Amino acid sequence: MFSNLINSLVVISIVFIFLFSLLLVFKWLLFSSQWGVVTQNLPLYAFGVFPVDQRWRPCLWLLILAFLSIVTIFKPRWSWFGKVLPIAWVGVIPLGVGLLSGGLGLLPVESRHWGGFTLTILLMSCSALLAFPLGIMFAIGRQSKLPLIKYFSALYIDALRAVPLISILFFGQLLIPLFLPLGVEINRVSRAVISFTLFVAAYIAEDIRGGWQAIPNSQLEASKALGLSQAQTIRFIILPQALTIALPALTNQAIGLLQNTSLMSILGLVELLGISRSILANPVFIGRYIEVYVWLAGIYWVICTVMALLLRQLEEKVSIQRRIRKNV
Amino acid sequence: MSHIIRANNLVKSFTKGLRALDDISMVVNKQEVLVVMGPSGSGKSTLIRTFNGLETFDSGKLEVVGVPLYSNHDERNIRAIRRKVGMVFQQFNLFPHLSILENIILAPMKVQKLTRIEAEEHAMHLLSQMGITKQARKYPSQLSGGEQQRVAIARALALKPELLLFDEPTSALDPERVNEVLDAMRTLAQKGMTMVVVTHEVGFAREVADRVLFMDSGKLIEMTTPDIFFSNAKHERSRKFLNQIEK
Repeated sequence: MFSNLINSLVVISIVFIFLFSLLLVFKWLLFSSQWGVVTQNLPLYAFGVFPVDQRWRPCLWLLILAFLSIVTIFKPRWSWFGKVLPIAWVGVIPLGVGLLSGGLGLLPVESRHWGGFTLTILLMSCSALLAFPLGIMFAIGRQSKLPLIKYFSALYIDALRAVPLISILFFGQLLIPLFLPLGVEINRVSRAVISFTLFVAAYIAEDIRGGWQAIPNSQLEASKALGLSQAQTIRFIILPQALTIALPALTNQAIGLLQNTSLMSILGLVELLGISRSILANPVFIGRYIEVYVWLAGIYWVICTVMALLLRQLEEKVSIQRRIRKNV
Repeated sequence: MSHIIRANNLVKSFTKGLRALDDISMVVNKQEVLVVMGPSGSGKSTLIRTFNGLETFDSGKLEVVGVPLYSNHDERNIRAIRRKVGMVFQQFNLFPHLSILENIILAPMKVQKLTRIEAEEHAMHLLSQMGITKQARKYPSQLSGGEQQRVAIARALALKPELLLFDEPTSALDPERVNEVLDAMRTLAQKGMTMVVVTHEVGFAREVADRVLFMDSGKLIEMTTPDIFFSNAKHERSRKFLNQIEK
């Protein structure tokens, strides 16, 4: 580190710059920052402008999600829970939609009243849930022997990857209503979910294709020689292996998707970033940008970390290595 | 004796002038063990892979387990053949994400629609024949090459095939593991299983084969009993090959 003059100088200046910025941060934290903009608006960050007397619904959903996350990450020793966990994770997403929108005895709440953290999580989870099977379909389509399906899938994937996400979101918000027949209306949240789904599916398809191509041809030959049909080969031999290989890349997609949901704040949804912008527009909190954005960064960091941990668990669960360890 | 494979004038060309199969006509009888030998690149692997439709051919006619196959390679006929013909590969080609037992019961459950219990019962029986019952719950990567290849044989047997194809089954094995696989094959032959085996194992061919087929550059050079082939081969090329592998 201090082997010669230049190294020493570099090290000392890096340490100095680091300490100096730390000092500035602490000075700001201790003397200038005012966190009222965060503490007074916590319900808004969490639920947006959801009707106050109905806030228990998004609150309940978030609690269920937190519970599932804790159970998944820390794996308590209740053996019965391990088996229902995947079903619970898939089921909790439609449950969230149901709790937020109401019906079945619950007071209906229009989607324009949804917002904040809840909406961010909802956008991300719904899009991921829908994009995953769609992505698998396009990945299979791209490997199809039927030219029509093959080229349509390839065209779709290439087209969607060639367009920036924001323009697809604009398309979803502004153009989809124009194409729909009179009287048919799709709310903004659904339009956003559709746009995200279509976009992410193309990337998921490519990630799966990467995993697919890593499977040696000899696997397919063995499967064919056993008399399995094309569909059975895909279902039992290719997909399990391809998805396992593609899982780290798919984790990336999920985290990217979460962060991309913030783009919807430009298009009028009051998800986490959107609600923060409207809080900042309130004259009472004028100028408190830094506090709000530091707070936001913290929340996004926490969600991303939790997602990464959850998906690490999934990776672990499907890995052959783990199954082997369990055997020994 | 009735035949199980009948090939008439099979031709397959890779590039112009180079023929992987050059006018092959032959018959394999039921309960016969046929060993296919030849230098590398002679087309022996190509030949046995055409028998279950893994390779196509350009002209000629093939009939396997009573199902005809022409150069148009009707998918339905190929699947009908594969349901009755098992194959064992050089690199085992077990499915790494499935346990040994799952590897074996997959095809019986999905192709023959057996229940899991029936399929597992039969699979355990096959594993005990192969002497590897203890490994049933393990995964392929935990097994030695010889064990993996015996699992592959059990998997090929799971569909109760009328014919087994072996594509150099011992070439990827450590020398000390070769015999356990050859022993398993020997037992199968004694039980009357019809087998076509591509191999360089002279000892196995001498002892187990009913006939030996010798190929060179896509041509069937000679097809005769092992006694005649190894001591008194008719053709110059066969003798040259035998000299080389016995050195």
